[in-house]
Amino acid sequence: MSEDRVPVVADGAWTDDVDEEEGVVVNWFAKEGRRVTAGESLCEVQVEKVSVDIAAPTDGELVEIVRDENAEFTIGDTLAWIEPGE
Amino acid sequence: MTVDRELTMSRAIVEAIGSEMRENEEVFYMGEDVADYGGIFDSTQGLLEEFGYDRIMDVPISETAYLGAAVGAAQQGMRPIAELMFVDFFGVAMDQIYNQMAKNTYMSGGSVSVPMVMTTAVGGTYSDAAQHSQTLYGTFAHLPGMKVVVPSTAYDAKGLMHNAIRDDDPVVYMYHKRLMGLGWLPAPPGPKTPVPEEDYTIPFGRADVKREGADVTVVTLGLHVHRALDAAESLAADGVDVEVIDLRTLVPLDRETVVESVRKTGRLVVVDEDYRSFGLSGEIVSTVADEALDSLAAVERVAMPDVPIPYARELEGEVLPGTDDIEAAVRNVR
Repeated sequence: MSEDRVPVVADGAWTDDVDEEEGVVVNWFAKEGRRVTAGESLCEVQVEKVSVDIAAPTDGELVEIVRDENAEFTIGDTLAWIEPGE
Repeated sequence: MTVDRELTMSRAIVEAIGSEMRENEEVFYMGEDVADYGGIFDSTQGLLEEFGYDRIMDVPISETAYLGAAVGAAQQGMRPIAELMFVDFFGVAMDQIYNQMAKNTYMSGGSVSVPMVMTTAVGGTYSDAAQHSQTLYGTFAHLPGMKVVVPSTAYDAKGLMHNAIRDDDPVVYMYHKRLMGLGWLPAPPGPKTPVPEEDYTIPFGRADVKREGADVTVVTLGLHVHRALDAAESLAADGVDVEVIDLRTLVPLDRETVVESVRKTGRLVVVDEDYRSFGLSGEIVSTVADEALDSLAAVERVAMPDVPIPYARELEGEVLPGTDDIEAAVRNVR
């Protein structure tokens, strides 16, 4: 089951110039259990005073939020899991 | 599916502005740091990429010049939105706001209208001192000619912004910085709400009862809607049933909802982040005195004392109306 799930990753792809590896989750725009669409903003994170949106990597259901609002993370961490589906 | 989507207040405001700009090419936005920066409180985040520099315009630091330009553009049929970065800066452009924007419709005998929106950031709670922390609700609501909007949630903010842009009169749209949902200035729980993707309007002059209650009426707006709701929650545990009214617009003011509520509860607390004297709290109390004095058993005001807002965190916390102050006031009128 769990290998079917797709991670929502704070991969740092929005910049090639990050000195800090730590960030904080600022806002979630979706709750667990919601259907999401690939490309829609799921949450906003902040690294080095820069805020960026993390988009859903696939269509599906947001089954688990791993890092809630105000939680810290390291670039590369999984923030949430999506179970793919139409 | 879309009903579940939650937005911060800043994103809800931006969504309304973007939608109006797509619908009507006469709508444009100007202000300090609104283009490349996206607004220092995220009030225009992402709009430059879609609409470009012709319609999302950074301006030099002269509020007199660009607010005056907005008044002129509005009179010529455009629908400008001009941002006063902090409401505290209004003094440098007082003639443009008080004498031109607010009065030109009247002075021209109705031959021009001024369909502009002046957006502005208000409020304290983050140690920005006396010249960057005021709300000045009363200062704008006092002078005839301007409509005044103060949203407290993302849902309300979007509907009120649609209405503000479509209104043919000048509208002052005052958003509280603490409610916008910024990374560096986190919002309390409450302002982030589900927001429909489609357009909708919330009419001016209609207060919203954010919590129904039978014992005490609390009338407030902006950030303090959420503080009043927190106070109501903890008072409920002691068996005190508080009604919380969010005014949403000051001009026009929904006096009817306030008076109706006091007729039911007989007890009134007005909570205002603006200064205590000569302002909103006095206006609400006198409205109730005018129209429902026989119903009014007790009344109290919780407002900013008449002092400049301190920089020091502890002192600012002392003068700002807090949840505990609201609770104490409610207990006093019980």
